[in-house]
Amino acid sequence: MLARIAHELFWLGRNVSRAEHTARLIDGVFQADVQAYHEDPSGVTLSWDAVLAIMGSTAVAHARSSRDETVALLSTDDTNVNSVVASVARAREGARTVRDVISAEMWEAINGFQLGLGEAAIGVTGYAGPYSFVSYVKTRSALFWGVAARTMLRDEAYAFLDAGGRFEGADMVLRMLRVALPAPEESTDHQGFSLRDGQALALLQAVGGLQAYRRASASAPSAAAVASFLLFTQSYPDSVTASIAAVRDALLLADASPRSSDPVLRLSRLLADLGFRAGTAAVGSGLLDVCETIGSELALVDGDISDRYFGGVAPAERLMTA
Amino acid sequence: MSASRQLTPIYDEVFTERGERRPHAEQLIAELERLGSERLVAAGQLRDALFMRQGITFDLTTTDGAVADRPFPLDLVPRIIPAHEWNEIKRGLAQRIRALNHFVADVYHEREIVKAGIVPWTLIASRSHFARAAHGIRPPGGIYTHIAGCDLVRDGDGTWKVLEDNVRTPSGISYMLENRIAMTRLIPSLFAYYRVRPVDEYPALLLASLKSVAPGPEGEATVVVWTPGPANSAYFEHAFLARQMGVELVEASDLVVRDDVCYMRTTNGLARVSAIYRRLDDAFIDPLEFRPDSLLGVPGLIRAYRAGTVAIANAIGTGVADDKAIYYYVPEMIRFYLGETPLLENVVTYLLDDPEHLEIALSRIDELVFKPTGESGGRGVVIGPHTDESRLASLATAVRADPSQWIAQELVQLSTVPTVQTDGTLASRHVDLRPFAIFGEQIRIVPGGLTRVALDEGTMVVNSSRGGGSKDTWVLADDDDSAPPEPQAPMPFAPPALPDLRLGSWTGQAQQQQQQRRFERDS
Repeated sequence: MLARIAHELFWLGRNVSRAEHTARLIDGVFQADVQAYHEDPSGVTLSWDAVLAIMGSTAVAHARSSRDETVALLSTDDTNVNSVVASVARAREGARTVRDVISAEMWEAINGFQLGLGEAAIGVTGYAGPYSFVSYVKTRSALFWGVAARTMLRDEAYAFLDAGGRFEGADMVLRMLRVALPAPEESTDHQGFSLRDGQALALLQAVGGLQAYRRASASAPSAAAVASFLLFTQSYPDSVTASIAAVRDALLLADASPRSSDPVLRLSRLLADLGFRAGTAAVGSGLLDVCETIGSELALVDGDISDRYFGGVAPAERLMTA
Repeated sequence: MSASRQLTPIYDEVFTERGERRPHAEQLIAELERLGSERLVAAGQLRDALFMRQGITFDLTTTDGAVADRPFPLDLVPRIIPAHEWNEIKRGLAQRIRALNHFVADVYHEREIVKAGIVPWTLIASRSHFARAAHGIRPPGGIYTHIAGCDLVRDGDGTWKVLEDNVRTPSGISYMLENRIAMTRLIPSLFAYYRVRPVDEYPALLLASLKSVAPGPEGEATVVVWTPGPANSAYFEHAFLARQMGVELVEASDLVVRDDVCYMRTTNGLARVSAIYRRLDDAFIDPLEFRPDSLLGVPGLIRAYRAGTVAIANAIGTGVADDKAIYYYVPEMIRFYLGETPLLENVVTYLLDDPEHLEIALSRIDELVFKPTGESGGRGVVIGPHTDESRLASLATAVRADPSQWIAQELVQLSTVPTVQTDGTLASRHVDLRPFAIFGEQIRIVPGGLTRVALDEGTMVVNSSRGGGSKDTWVLADDDDSAPPEPQAPMPFAPPALPDLRLGSWTGQAQQQQQQRRFERDS
């Protein structure tokens, strides 16, 4: 298929997934913040500062003072390229470009997503808070992925869409972990973590994994347990490991000769490494290092995918990321 | 209503008698006024849509007998309990529950309280929830009343009093937790002025306490929630607790007892169960020991329980302690078992078994509240002043026929809290409070509880099946609560500098930089 089309599909997946993860992040942090104990900031840090840090350095530079302003910046501000509405708008533009490749129902799902966004955004920063908006974004992105899974031919096109969605999921969850985990040297207890359960819960809430965690894990949601869960659990679909495996599987399908494909090889190595680390007991304070390593590997994979499939789009971007 | 009763003062928790706001409610009322009635109505509509979608509903039987599914009526004005009041409630409840636990243990073992002549044995043995099968069984950890919910009310001068004890299967905890989540979504701005103590640790506390009493090796305890089935009116709560604790929700057909050990049937064969949080009454749990016609029970479960291989919460036979005739003796129990003065009072109660009490009560039949002793959930309760004469006459006959199955209580003028009306305005409505306690290694009481509110003017019936609603209950973190939280000094927070999110436009760099520049310029 055309490199340009593959690129659009990949980014369609990424933008929809980014909108959803951003919305969930807003929801999780908002709920934790509303009931927060401000004098008890130990442990997992999931404040509005942290949210901005997750969205990257440019976002931090534009930090707003109040909760309402930060929520608006990330949800409905169309001048901010990282906001939910901007991600959805880009997704819709991308879908328009590939209307002939995706199914009509998918196009309607994404088009309707954007058309209803304005109405859903009313009151986000008012007395009502972001709940209605967030719940709209979650529903509509689930609709998009559901329709895609149900109606789209499992060909290269689907593989690139899927790979994009899952890549973004891995990237966003990893970013959350890198910012939210307390640095080992600041910790107070011997295990290398001081934490408040509520905030670890907020982190799970922010990725929609609270129930999955409760069913999968017997331990109380401490920072270390939650981080291990979100990094290594293969059976939880939004964990970093599961997402990376899904990207690799999608690329295996899309690539005519996967054995010589740099991104596939790199992803396979990364997965083997994750499998190894998940098995070792010395997870504790090394978690941040693991996150950082995966982060830089993922940036390289991103570049490899561009090089191999999209004719090396925007090499300058790649330098910025790496 | 007689003139004298109308003069009985009613305590309002937000306004003083002179109409001034109590300090802890100052900011709440101010914020509600800022919001205005229109927004409250809108938030109410959102709440109904939300609860219907999430299936947080209850069955309301309408006047023509049809059963309708209605969204759970959460009132949007929270009820605030200042820290110092909560501390008293908490201590009083812990004391009461400890005494009740002693009492249950005593009834099925030494019967010291009977020997001391405080509670007559005939009364205990005639209680409908007295369980002979539990005699001599020492449950793991010596704990009978793992989960307790006492109903509290405030009378005219604002004193907290215990209206009844629920130590069988008190329900309502799921509504308390869902109410809090809903409030943070519906009117988050109300939280800005208060530091409300969180309630969300309840499922974790419950799980920990069930594990702590489970027999068997540490850390391997399998806990289950046992529901009578989806037809039960509290099924939502059973499923909710199982989900929140991450444990299996079982029905009788899932459980089986082999060689005095309880198992559940899984796809991998039988799996040992070491603690059961049961949500059905004693009478139904084992057809071999209790009602032989029970289809909800597990044959042999009591044998396993007696052998000590499985913990059951609450323990078999605890129902004897929440009988309303036994309630009369609770203050005595606290003095007898703990040697302490009761911190929370009972409502004045007449034990109709006593001929003297019976005559006093019957002579004031139109002023008192009559309750059948073995029932719960407001079933069979007759409120004298609100009942016509022919009904009272038949009540008197029923009471005289079997006085030991009835008690009479003074009518308590429940305290009031402002409540949102359908047009968005506020009006005072009567409330009660059910805090939830968990008895594991120690007694833990989650700050707050389920506040039930009578939605019709003047009425004191708070049961949701009869038009009652509920309120989110806020226990404040400390007594400095009238002031908004101080702006905090920025805490040291140095997140790793992550790269910007990529945008991936096909045309590449130029467009992206342009977009970013616009963003920087505009902001």
